[in-house]
Amino acid sequence: MNPGSFFCGSADHGVNRRGFLSAAALGTAGTFAADMTQLDLLRHSAWADDVKKKEKRVILLWLAGGASQFETWDPKPGRPTGGPFRAIQTASSGVQISELMPKMAARMQTTAIIRSLNTKNGDHGGGSSLMETGRRKDPGIDYPDLGALCAKELGRIDSAVPDYVSLYSSTEGRRKGTSGFLGARYAPMFLSENMVPENVRRLETISDIDHQDRAALRDLLAKRFAQNRTSDVIGSHTNAYQRVRGLMASEKLFDIEQEPEAMRAKYGPTQFGQQCLIARRLVEAGVPFVKVARAWWDSHGQNFETHRELCADLDHSMAVLLDDLKDRGLLEHTLVLTFGEFGRTPQINPSLGRDHFASAWSASLSGCGVKGGACYGKTDPDGHTVAEGEASAGDLFATILTALGIDPHKEYTLGARPVPLSDFGSKPIKEVLA
Amino acid sequence: MRLKSQLPSHKAIVKNDQTSHCLPRPIPPTFERNERPPMRKTVRLTWLSLWLFATGVVSFTTISLAADLPSADAPIEQVIDQFINERLETEKVTPAPQADDLNLLRRLSLDLAGRIPTSAEAQAFAANTSPTKRVELVDRLLASPDFPLHQRNELDRLLLAHKPNDGEFRKYLLWATQQNRPWDAMFRDMLIGSEADENQKGALTFVKSRARELDDLTNDTASLFFGVNVSCAKCHDHPLAQDWKQDHFYGMTSFFSRTYLTKKNLLAEKQVGEVKFSTKKEGQKQAAFLFLTGATISEPMVERTKEQLKEFDEVVKKQTQEDNAPPPEKPSFSPREKLVEVALRAEDNRFFARNCVNRIWAQFFSRGIVDPVDQMHSANPPTHPELLDWLTRDLVAHNYDMKRLIRGIALSQTYSRSSEWTSGEQPSAAIYAVVKVKPLTPRQYALSLHMAAYNPTQWPAADQPDKWAQRREQLENTANGWSNMFEVPGEGFQVAIDEALLFTNNKRIEDEFLRDSGDRLVGYLKTLSDNSALIDAAFWSVNSRPPRDEERAALNDYLQKHSTDRLVAIRQIVWALLTSPELRVCF
Repeated sequence: MNPGSFFCGSADHGVNRRGFLSAAALGTAGTFAADMTQLDLLRHSAWADDVKKKEKRVILLWLAGGASQFETWDPKPGRPTGGPFRAIQTASSGVQISELMPKMAARMQTTAIIRSLNTKNGDHGGGSSLMETGRRKDPGIDYPDLGALCAKELGRIDSAVPDYVSLYSSTEGRRKGTSGFLGARYAPMFLSENMVPENVRRLETISDIDHQDRAALRDLLAKRFAQNRTSDVIGSHTNAYQRVRGLMASEKLFDIEQEPEAMRAKYGPTQFGQQCLIARRLVEAGVPFVKVARAWWDSHGQNFETHRELCADLDHSMAVLLDDLKDRGLLEHTLVLTFGEFGRTPQINPSLGRDHFASAWSASLSGCGVKGGACYGKTDPDGHTVAEGEASAGDLFATILTALGIDPHKEYTLGARPVPLSDFGSKPIKEVLA
Repeated sequence: MRLKSQLPSHKAIVKNDQTSHCLPRPIPPTFERNERPPMRKTVRLTWLSLWLFATGVVSFTTISLAADLPSADAPIEQVIDQFINERLETEKVTPAPQADDLNLLRRLSLDLAGRIPTSAEAQAFAANTSPTKRVELVDRLLASPDFPLHQRNELDRLLLAHKPNDGEFRKYLLWATQQNRPWDAMFRDMLIGSEADENQKGALTFVKSRARELDDLTNDTASLFFGVNVSCAKCHDHPLAQDWKQDHFYGMTSFFSRTYLTKKNLLAEKQVGEVKFSTKKEGQKQAAFLFLTGATISEPMVERTKEQLKEFDEVVKKQTQEDNAPPPEKPSFSPREKLVEVALRAEDNRFFARNCVNRIWAQFFSRGIVDPVDQMHSANPPTHPELLDWLTRDLVAHNYDMKRLIRGIALSQTYSRSSEWTSGEQPSAAIYAVVKVKPLTPRQYALSLHMAAYNPTQWPAADQPDKWAQRREQLENTANGWSNMFEVPGEGFQVAIDEALLFTNNKRIEDEFLRDSGDRLVGYLKTLSDNSALIDAAFWSVNSRPPRDEERAALNDYLQKHSTDRLVAIRQIVWALLTSPELRVCF
């Protein structure tokens, strides 16, 4: 049988693929130490490579604190609000961005910009929550964030790699993320103390053989107990323990020493750059959602110096990441996003800073499902208001989900209440979608 | 199921309100304490009629609800089984057999004491041949120091989920559960308790912790005490439940809108203040003090001068900004007090009383008689309406005695069925043919892990209740820290991979549960040279039962294969038992 025939390109193939892999996993579950099998299966067969490439993933470059749209995607050179930097022509005709982003300007064919976000919440906590979940808080409902939604929609139940990894580079603006009502099953693997996730490394007090043997004994006892009992809780317990060995094997994904020197040099020495490299390693191995938070853009003072430094890091890391994904054939299936909790004010304050501003700001989308070079929406000449194509946080989420092939209007049922994936009334922005 | 399209428009409801099925009349009349409702001779509700009703084909008023309720003097457990079994017969489903003794002991210990039994308790129960041993066990557990601690934890999880481990609130709850304080008194304590009262002070955390979020205070109170989630009716009339209008959401809100916290974190209420909201049809509206039953409270009209209003503002400003403000004065009209009054009075207490029954039912059966538990409205009828009626009447007649209801549930055959289903596809959970597996709460799990991993010979003996009380207190404190590591189960709970990784590779697990000191199970097992005795002891400690033959064989094999280092093998066996789903759930 030609394995390629499983993937006919129809809208259903996500389901088939999952079903097929689950069946494969079940087939091997009879032998207790088989937990590595899936990983090996994925690593060694040609069709598995094909599967992995076609799976959709997301890398969210979260600009914590709120990056300035003027110094990134929506420059206003020569205007009183424009600041000292120039605008430069990009590879997409008619689209100019800040001169602080020259590498991205040269790669504009991969990227679409939305310049007309009006999200109305200029408070760090509220704005972050809004841009993480795509909706305002509601009493009595704990909404999942974008990462958890994608983990659920794009992840495989028996995946040997994590579904959602969250990395950050500064204690400021550090937010763990929330899987809300989807439960801890979809919570992020959050790297807090160092660059290796917690509890993925075997303790030195136990040998690898013993580690496997006791897991096999556990499986045996668990299996007997699960007989005749239909329960999602027991099922998820079994599933969690079955994924342990695979996740332990994924530790090396976090180790950039495994990359050739030349590749590490490309990403550069900054922590953000290195985390982008980890993100690429993760999505390449099938992790559906990786968030890399870059802080701290909250430039109430010295906005221009701050952005000169931070944009250089963003511009370089993002450009290398996009190139690398493209070279590996992954960009077509990987959506790279940049946004934070809000943008920054047109007014330049006496400390040469820009303050919180959620009325007219920008986000970018690159890769999977995106119409590269597109530029959607307009702000007025000084950037005070949205002049054209106003978009909400919900609209941005609907656009992201659509780019990933997920129906944004699909509903979860919470108790008796229907909860659509992207907020009620939101619409995808077709102009930036391929 | 979408109802909206089948419902008449808002206008039609108004015109036609005597016959419309959109009237908020989901709930039968209330009962005065110690008074039996009049007998009603009518048609029994069938699934078909429920469906007809739920889909709006038949209106509520055309079906009278219940047949004759059983006598008020009947034992609770008997009434539960009667209604549950009638329904099973109608559905032609033979329920699962009763769980075996040790399974039931474990379930009761977890549900009433918040922990697994010790191996001594389990062995004594297995050996006990008294025909009344189950009743004796239930009464012993309910009288034990474990019960109030566990019930405190359950109520804490329910009422203050957003603020875990609040010391003051937990202290209050323990005080209340230790004296089996009636639910209506607890409701009063939590909503309008006195700051000056040592016990009630902690109870007010319920309101205080939500005082800055009016929507949360409104919705949580309506949901937790009345079984009604009104949040859907905030921006528009409720799309599914025709009972709930924006008027109800803002009506509930108006009872809380004057509530605020002073700088010194005291609860206070403003003298004046009204809630306005915008509607799609009628524009701006002022909210009435409207309760869910439709009852309204009118505030006595008092003419206020501009100066007085200004003075009120000054008082609030002072209270919220100054450390040395005098204790806030009670307003002449207290909306929160009025809410408590209306919610508890005989003609309007149906939501309060039914919710209490339904929440306790759900604590034991993992689903409500009305399910979801916060969706008490006419489009979501109870699965066993007469049972809910009877239990509600009983609760009110017995002074909101929750322990009495819990005892009845624990003694029912419905509760003590097996959780195994062997005859084909499992029937709907709504008919209680088989017991539903529940994940342990973080506290139950933390306590049970510690007990399972403890040297089984070192528990206080059964005839030393004081010593046990002391140990139990210690265990409770130990469990505090550990319980934070596990997820609080909610709807559709799934065990997270983090938990499996924690148990597999974390040093704290190894140090706490697998060390071979004399006070630990591993330490005890290593003193046993006979494999069979060792395996027995391990199973009784962790699973409160003897091993099955195939389990004994598997563990024996393991010990023999790893005979070069027996201690290591014992550790692995204990690890495998501790991490098996059998210890993770109540089944």
